[in-house]
Amino acid sequence: MRARLRLALREIAVGGRQLTALTLKEFRQLLRDRVLLSFIVYLFSANILLAGGSQTHDLSRAPIVVHDADHSAASRELIYRFRTPYFRFAGEVASAREGMARLERGDAMLFLEIPEHFDQVLQRGAEPASVQLLIDTSKATRGYLAASYSAQILAILNQEWVEARLGRIGGGSSGASQPTLEARPRIWFNPEVNEPWFYTISELLTMLTVACVLLPASAMVREKERGTIEQLLVSPLTPFQVIFPKVLAMVAVMLAGTALAFFGILQPVFHVPVRGSLGLFFAMTALYAFTNAGLGLLAATFARNAAQVGMLLLLITMPVVVLSGTWTPMESLPPLLRTIMLLSPLRHFVEIAYGILLRGAGLDTLWDSALAMALLGTGLLALGSWRFRRQFQ
Amino acid sequence: MNLRRVLALAAKEWREVLRDRIYFALTFLLPVILMLVLGYGMTHDVENVPLAVVDYDHSASSREYAQHFTGSRYFAYQGTMRDVREVERAMLDGRLRVAIIIPEQFHQRLTAGRPTEVQVLLDGTFTIAVRTIRGYVGAIHADAAGELATNALARKLGVPPDRARVVVQPLNIETRYLYNEEAKGVWTIAPLLVMFILTWTTPLLLGLGVVREKETGSIYNLYASTVTRAEFLVGKLIPTISMSFLNGMLLWCLAAWYFGAPFRGSFPVFALGTLLFVTASCGIGLVISLVTRTQQAALMLSVILGMLVASEYSGMSTPISELPPVNAAIAHVLPAMYYTAIVEGSFLKGAGLTELGGNLAVLAVQSALILCFGPLLLHKRTRT
Repeated sequence: MRARLRLALREIAVGGRQLTALTLKEFRQLLRDRVLLSFIVYLFSANILLAGGSQTHDLSRAPIVVHDADHSAASRELIYRFRTPYFRFAGEVASAREGMARLERGDAMLFLEIPEHFDQVLQRGAEPASVQLLIDTSKATRGYLAASYSAQILAILNQEWVEARLGRIGGGSSGASQPTLEARPRIWFNPEVNEPWFYTISELLTMLTVACVLLPASAMVREKERGTIEQLLVSPLTPFQVIFPKVLAMVAVMLAGTALAFFGILQPVFHVPVRGSLGLFFAMTALYAFTNAGLGLLAATFARNAAQVGMLLLLITMPVVVLSGTWTPMESLPPLLRTIMLLSPLRHFVEIAYGILLRGAGLDTLWDSALAMALLGTGLLALGSWRFRRQFQ
Repeated sequence: MNLRRVLALAAKEWREVLRDRIYFALTFLLPVILMLVLGYGMTHDVENVPLAVVDYDHSASSREYAQHFTGSRYFAYQGTMRDVREVERAMLDGRLRVAIIIPEQFHQRLTAGRPTEVQVLLDGTFTIAVRTIRGYVGAIHADAAGELATNALARKLGVPPDRARVVVQPLNIETRYLYNEEAKGVWTIAPLLVMFILTWTTPLLLGLGVVREKETGSIYNLYASTVTRAEFLVGKLIPTISMSFLNGMLLWCLAAWYFGAPFRGSFPVFALGTLLFVTASCGIGLVISLVTRTQQAALMLSVILGMLVASEYSGMSTPISELPPVNAAIAHVLPAMYYTAIVEGSFLKGAGLTELGGNLAVLAVQSALILCFGPLLLHKRTRT
């Protein structure tokens, strides 16, 4: 009995030593590829720095040209309202034709046309006074924002004019004669709509995904291409022992990369808040790296050389990166696609990462996403080991 | 430059690609599949936004007001919630993006003509969507408030609602959308995807082509042979450029026919632009093949650099004029922004040679530079 126990213990010790040795081998291989290593460092530092500063989806100083056929106090008042931060007055044109030409050339985004007798119609109040606004919507989102900001300008102006008029008619008690209903938007979690918070986290997640899937997959395929896999197979190692060190090494590298990005860029430069537990965030990052490594290793069993595995992984990672909720909100996807995306580990990790960092959520609300991610990872790794073993029989 | 040698090299390259079936299929399948997936996924149409209502008033007016939101096609109504606490829990979980909070005495205050406030809570985590959603909320609220005010005034003054509406809204704005008449996201995104996909598949194909020879050692044949560097480069470029150009045309068909984005410009200009862009993009591929030794590294570099260039230095999501100066300067050196102008111009705006000539010229210069200086980047002797 005791002899058997001792034997079992020794086997475990040997297995552990083998695992450590192979993991160290993976590290050494990675550290020796200087280009790859410096590239990984770039991904988690300068790349995120650039991404945080480069994108804004808000409308800022959109150029507007005006054709004012009325030249009255009211028309000037209306034009004056289209100003910074959203709009920028880009000049008056002599005719509607010229206004259209300015839009076509792309040096104006909006064209406001005010008809003759605009002021008179407004003063008489028998019918609404109309102006026309043309918007270049070749960029759909910005076009929509321009339309909605213009509508807000108009609503405010309308209210002011009504109050002034009713004040005149009603004799003094302005505002009180007409009920006012206001909407107070309050934005939670990011009240100032600070875009770098969103983009730096999204970039970090994207880089984690790309690197976590590509690195172990190509490390595995390289062993196949070079034939070193045969050496591992004739050694007294189980397929699990061949695969798992690659996963372990990857998780460690990704954690280091995340720490670099987080403490080097996200916090000091962009002041991204941590409203939940940082420990939980890193634990979840490790789980995510593990899940993705499973995906990469599974893909590697389908490919024979680096070029093939690269193409295959692109086919998988591109849709995952784009459709998992950082580029476009989940609810905008067609229902079928939304269901398919439940299989994407990133889709769950997006919920977790933003949940912990910006919303301050804990495991009590995020447990379902974490569970889904863990199940996906285990499943992928099991499938990968099974295919790996079958391949060499 | 010996034409026969170049052709022999190009033929060899073709054969290599054709024989690796998976690689060949993916060369053409990858762009098409990505185009389909991204075309559906990347439209920035913000729709089906999950919305909930907290109604503390339970009156006819509050229900009428809420109906404007719950009936909108932009929102997916999740039902009423009891209090703000419940809203907070749902938002924390990411199940809810908007909540409309209607206060007590909403109906009373409104009929008494006292100012009333409705609170709207928005999830600010997803910054791209939050402004658009705020825009929806503003527009729907203006509609609802206008109707409530018109009805109240009509009752009070005893005039028909039409007359009351002029009093409440004396100024009317008619908004017309140009180029993309329905502000359809897919019309904007499908043409841009042609650029997006070509920007990183082209360097990838060239980079892998060169590095593959380095990694398998067959590049030693070149070192020892009479083939010059320029011939070797052109022999690599011809297959890459033709494959990428073919891909570009394939993607054009998908954008124009499958996604229905209107193509209003000139096809020859667009085709010429694509050819020049693909050639210029090979420059990035060359640099990548120069600095990397393994296909693994070449692949990572080209995908990530390509995606970075395509999404952030092309003017795809943010116009170049609004980028910070450093980023704008980088964008001007790279070919992507010129091709973006050609794609956008030819599809939605109906621009021709006169409008796009400048962009074509820049791409032509970049291509010429690649062809002239590309051979200098290759070395016939490995550095030790």
